[in-house]
Amino acid sequence: MGRSKPIRRKPGWAAIFVLVVLSASLVLIVGKPNYPELGSASRAALRQRAGQPQLVRAEPLPAVEGLQEGMECAWMPASAPSTLLGAFQQPGGPVTAAPASVPIDRAPIRAIRDTYPTYSAVAVDLNSNEVYLQDENLFGYKVFDRLANTPPGAEFSEPKRIVGGINTKLEFNCALYVDPTSGDVYSVANDTMDTLVVFPREAQGNVAPMRELHTPHGTYGIAVDEAAQEMFLTVQHINGVVVYPKTAAGEDEPIRRLAGDRTALEDPHGIAVDPKNGWMFVSNHGSVKNTRPPRVGRFEPPSITVYPLRASGDTPPIRIIEGPRTQLNWPAHLFVDPEHGELYVANDVGDSVLVFRITDSGDVAPSRVIRGPKAGLKNPTGLFVDLANDELWVSSMGNHSARVFMRTADGDVAPMRIIRSAPAGKIALAIGNPGATAYDSRRDEILVPN
Amino acid sequence: MLAGQQTLLSRTMHDIRYDAVHDEFLVTNPFAQAILVFRGGADGEEAPIRIIQGPNTQLQGTGAQAGGVDRLDVDPVHDEIVIPAGDRILVFPRTGNGDVSPLRVIQGPATTLHRAQAIAVDPVHNVIVAGTNRQYKNGYGALLIFNRTDTGNAKPRGIILGPKSEIGNLNQLVTYSPKGWIIAAQTGDSYGKSEPEGVFVGVWSVHDNGDVPPRWRLAGPRSTLKKPRGVALNPKEKELMIADMTLNAVLTFYFPEIF
Repeated sequence: MGRSKPIRRKPGWAAIFVLVVLSASLVLIVGKPNYPELGSASRAALRQRAGQPQLVRAEPLPAVEGLQEGMECAWMPASAPSTLLGAFQQPGGPVTAAPASVPIDRAPIRAIRDTYPTYSAVAVDLNSNEVYLQDENLFGYKVFDRLANTPPGAEFSEPKRIVGGINTKLEFNCALYVDPTSGDVYSVANDTMDTLVVFPREAQGNVAPMRELHTPHGTYGIAVDEAAQEMFLTVQHINGVVVYPKTAAGEDEPIRRLAGDRTALEDPHGIAVDPKNGWMFVSNHGSVKNTRPPRVGRFEPPSITVYPLRASGDTPPIRIIEGPRTQLNWPAHLFVDPEHGELYVANDVGDSVLVFRITDSGDVAPSRVIRGPKAGLKNPTGLFVDLANDELWVSSMGNHSARVFMRTADGDVAPMRIIRSAPAGKIALAIGNPGATAYDSRRDEILVPN
Repeated sequence: MLAGQQTLLSRTMHDIRYDAVHDEFLVTNPFAQAILVFRGGADGEEAPIRIIQGPNTQLQGTGAQAGGVDRLDVDPVHDEIVIPAGDRILVFPRTGNGDVSPLRVIQGPATTLHRAQAIAVDPVHNVIVAGTNRQYKNGYGALLIFNRTDTGNAKPRGIILGPKSEIGNLNQLVTYSPKGWIIAAQTGDSYGKSEPEGVFVGVWSVHDNGDVPPRWRLAGPRSTLKKPRGVALNPKEKELMIADMTLNAVLTFYFPEIF
C-alpha cells in the first residue's frame, strides 16, 4: 500500500490571465485613472507627477518672538498653559506665547439705561424769565420758559433750548448758577471733566463754552457773592471750599481755601452765601477722613456748617446744625434768603425740602418741611428761591421733573407748576456715573453703585 | 435702591462685589476709608452688617494711589477681602468688623506694586490679580499676578505689561476661575474725555506673563462701549455685564467664548 502524495493545485494561471485582461479592458473602456488635476502653480512650474514625494520649495522659518539665534523653542504640550519650568520661575522667565487677540465687536443683548433727563440742579434767569435745569443723566442743561407747566396728559415738555454734547464739556455736572445781570450760565463739574464751564445766555446745541476754569476734582455746589464778585465751590474729595474771582479762567488758582480737620467739612455738598450777614453755609453728608496721619476715616451725622464768609484755612465753623431733629438725610444744594432769614435745604433721601432759620444751631427741627405725595418730591437735590416772584423751585433727580411751590409752602402741598421731562409717574433709574457692577446670582439681579 | 444716611454710602464707589456663598455684597466708602458689607438684597435705608475701618486697617489716604480704599474683591472660599492700595495689597478677613488689622500685606520693592488700583481673586488657581494705571511703567499699565497667600516683599509670579497687552488704565477686574480668565475693563486715556480712545474689555489668563495681548478684546461700534468701568459675569447664561460711565448704563453681552 503506498502513501498518497498531497494534492497540489497548480496556480490558476488561466484565471490570473483573465483578470489581467479584464483590468486592461476596464481601463480601455472607462479611461485613465481619475488623478486630481495638478494645481496651476505646479503646472506653471512645469512639474510632473513623480509617483513619490518631491521637494517643492524651501523657505526660512518665521521669527519667534523672544527667540534668539541659536536658541531652541521649548517643547510644550498643546494643553499646557505654561512649561513646568516656567511655573516655578519668577517674571523675567518664559513669556506666554499667546495668539493675537480675537476682536469681538457685537451688540449688547440688553441695556439698562434711562433715556430721560434727570435734573440735579435748577436756576432761574429773571431777566429772560427762563428756568435752567441741569441734566446729569444725558449731560447738558435744558432751558424752559419760567411759566412752563406740563399738562397732565402730556408725555413731557419740550425745552426752548438744549445745551449739550461733547464740545460743551458737560458731563456729570451737578450745579448751576445764572448771572443775574448778564445771564451767563455757570455749570459745575462733579467728576470727569474737572472744569467749570460758562456759556452765554443764548447758547444752544453742542457748543464750546465761552470760558473754562480748571477746578479741583469733585466740585459740587456753587454760590456767588455778587458784591465781591467771588464764587464759592465745595470740593468733596478734599473736604474743602475753594473761592475764585467770578471771572476766573484757565488755570487760575483759588484766592482762598477752607479746609482742614477743624473745619468739620465732611463730604461737603451744597453751599450758600449770605453777604448781608457775612456767612457761608455748607451741607455735609458726614463721611470724613483725617487730613493728617493717621489719615483714617470715620462717619459723622449729616450737618449744615456755618462759617464767616471770608473764612479760609483750617477754620472751625461758628455754628453747626446737626442731629436727629434736623431730619437731614444726604442734604444737597442750599439756598439762603437773608431778607426772610431762611435757609433752604434740598434733602435728597428725605424726599423733602427743609427750611431752617439762618441763625439756627445744634439739633433743631426745621421751621418748615415740604414733603408728601402731593408735593411729589423724589430725591430732590436742586433748589432756587425766586424772591422776585416769591416762588421756590425744586428739581428732583428721582422723577425727571422740576416743581414750583409758593416760597412759603409748608407740609404736603401740591406745586403750582410742574415741568416734566418724562411721562407722569416715571421713576428715574438712578444710574449715575456707574463705576462698577456685580451680579447677584441668587436674586438674578445686577448691582450698580453710583 | 439702597440709599440714605444710614447706609453710610458715599459717592466714588468704584467697586462692588457679590458673595454668592454667604449672600452678601461689599462696597467701599473712600471718603470714610471704610469697607462696607451688606446682606444680600439690602434695600432702602439699610445699614451695613459689618464695617472695616480704623487705624489698624492701614486704610489711609485719598483713593488707592495714596494707600486708601478704592476697589476690592471678596474670596468666599478662603474668607478674605483684598484691597489694592497703590504700592500695597491688603488682605482682610471676610468676617472682619471694626478696626481690624490685615491678615497679610503684600508690599515691598520686589512686588513692583505701583499705582495698583484694581483687584480680583481667583480662589481656584489661588492667585490675586492687581491692575494698575498707565503710570506703572513707561506709560503702560499692568496686571500683576501674585500667589494668593503671598505676604511681604513677594515677587509677582506674572506681569502682563507692554504694547501688545494694550493695558493702560484698568478699572474693575473679575476672574472666571473654572478657566483661569482675567476679565478687565480698560478705560483708555480717559481723563477729561467723554469718549476716549483705546477702550475695551479684555480677557487674559492667570498664567500669562509678559507682553501678552488679550485673548479676546470686546470693543467697537456695535458694542456701543464709550467708557467701560465695571465688569461682572453670569456664567449660567454665559453673559458679561459692563457698566459704562459715559453711557450711564449697564450693558449685557452674550459672551460664550470665555465660559
